[in-house]
Amino acid sequence: MKRAPGRLFGRRAPLEPGAAGRQAAVQLYHVSKSYTAGQYALRDVSLEFRRGELVFLTGPSGAGKTSLLKLIFAAERPSEGQILVLGRNAPRLGPAATPPLRRRIGVVFQDFKLLPRRTVEENVALALEVVGAPRRDTRAKVFAILKQLGLQHRRFHHPLSLSGGEQQRVAIARALVNEPEILLADEPTGNLDPELTFEIMDLIARTATRGTTVIVATHDHNIVERYGKRCVRLEAGRIVEDAPAHGTGP
Amino acid sequence: MTRSVAQLLAFLRAALRGISASPLTSGVAIATIGVSLVLVGAFALLVANMQRLLDDFGDALHVTAYLEDGLSEDHQRQLAATAATVEGVTSVRLVSKQEALERFRGGVGRGAALLEGLSENPLPASLEIGLAPEHRSAAGLARVSGSLDGLPGIQELTSGQDWVEGYLRAIALVRGVGWGLALILALATLLIVANTIRLAVLSRRDELEILALVGASRAYVGTPFLIEGLIQGAAGGALALLLLYAVFRLVLPGFEFGLELLLGGVEPRFFTLGEAVWLLGVGAGLGLFGAGAALVSESRP
Repeated sequence: MKRAPGRLFGRRAPLEPGAAGRQAAVQLYHVSKSYTAGQYALRDVSLEFRRGELVFLTGPSGAGKTSLLKLIFAAERPSEGQILVLGRNAPRLGPAATPPLRRRIGVVFQDFKLLPRRTVEENVALALEVVGAPRRDTRAKVFAILKQLGLQHRRFHHPLSLSGGEQQRVAIARALVNEPEILLADEPTGNLDPELTFEIMDLIARTATRGTTVIVATHDHNIVERYGKRCVRLEAGRIVEDAPAHGTGP
Repeated sequence: MTRSVAQLLAFLRAALRGISASPLTSGVAIATIGVSLVLVGAFALLVANMQRLLDDFGDALHVTAYLEDGLSEDHQRQLAATAATVEGVTSVRLVSKQEALERFRGGVGRGAALLEGLSENPLPASLEIGLAPEHRSAAGLARVSGSLDGLPGIQELTSGQDWVEGYLRAIALVRGVGWGLALILALATLLIVANTIRLAVLSRRDELEILALVGASRAYVGTPFLIEGLIQGAAGGALALLLLYAVFRLVLPGFEFGLELLLGGVEPRFFTLGEAVWLLGVGAGLGLFGAGAALVSESRP
């Protein structure tokens, strides 16, 4: 009996990646995203992000950077095309399969998205609580990541009593405490002073050296130039440049 | 402590945090559920007590066959023997004219002086016909009366049949109104709980967005809201029980005449423990169902 391609014992199997695909964390094939008919936030985007790679997405406001990140962590579905995230066909995942994929992805936003009524420790612990991690392990892991980011003395404070830089570090701690395979950062330094910008970016960039794929959306050229890593430039939803890494930045 | 117990406690803490975050909205929901269940509970109590009166009265139900004047004692005994053969009859007692007069005299007290002027005993002899418990109903009374009706020597048959039928109709009416009211109030309660939970979901949209971001499952996000609805419903049920008990103990004794009219000599009773738990369960169930409805409607795209 012939089996339908892509199906194994009646269940959908992951699409077979190519040789390069085996090292890929994210693959996009001719992806378009349209929110209103005839207007595209992304148009025919094909990209591949390798494991452990640090990539910058740049472009003016409305270029499609945030839309691309949302598609990767399955907050939205593409209008056309296919997206493979960690070997899973992200747009095809149902409500039950999406949360497990998201637990393998850390996300950092410009506006931090912290819960103001919970302490720093509780905010970071959230990422572990949702997977049902034992309380003792959670506390130990949260303390370790906060110490790594220099925030252990602030763990019982509430986010609103912290500086912008500290709040962003808490958001990064929450994104990293689960040891994600992919870290997405959407304008992570957009609300920070220039001197804090590189401090936060160093933290994010360092994550890639541990094997995590890091994708940072930014319109700050200084950051891109400082790190000299791969840079994908978007304009009006299309890729206009995909420049390879050229430096040995931090 | 096992992981699932720890998880349940975490959900409970989240639900309590949700209630304390919006005390006014939660308080209104609890009060509304409480008032709704007070009305439903009052009808349930009334029906239970009326049914009890019927059960108590049933023990005393019998058919009385008044005999024609001038029947010989043999004829009277023959009629008694015939009545004893009717299905459902357990006893037949012959009450003579003299015994009837003695009973009347004992019953009217000082009014007995009126009887002094009578030249002859006006009261008829009668047969008091007792029924088996399973025949102590309006239908049983009708069946036994029908079997005896028309027998030569029997002048008139009386039983509590009309009263029982009327009282049963009254119970059915109260029960019907109670069910109708319960359905309407249950619907209203569901809507109120659903709206309360919907407001809670909306007020915590940021938190839910972050939970989704870190990979929380639907069950993880929804369970605290379900527990919140359950707690509100159970609290409403407890409030209803408290109010009903207060009315039962403090207010009801002031309406002795009305109670006497409605329940006869039956001492009114409050809910048993099982019935009280049932009312609490109804409240909790309504809260849970309302919260579930809110989550389903909020999860629609």
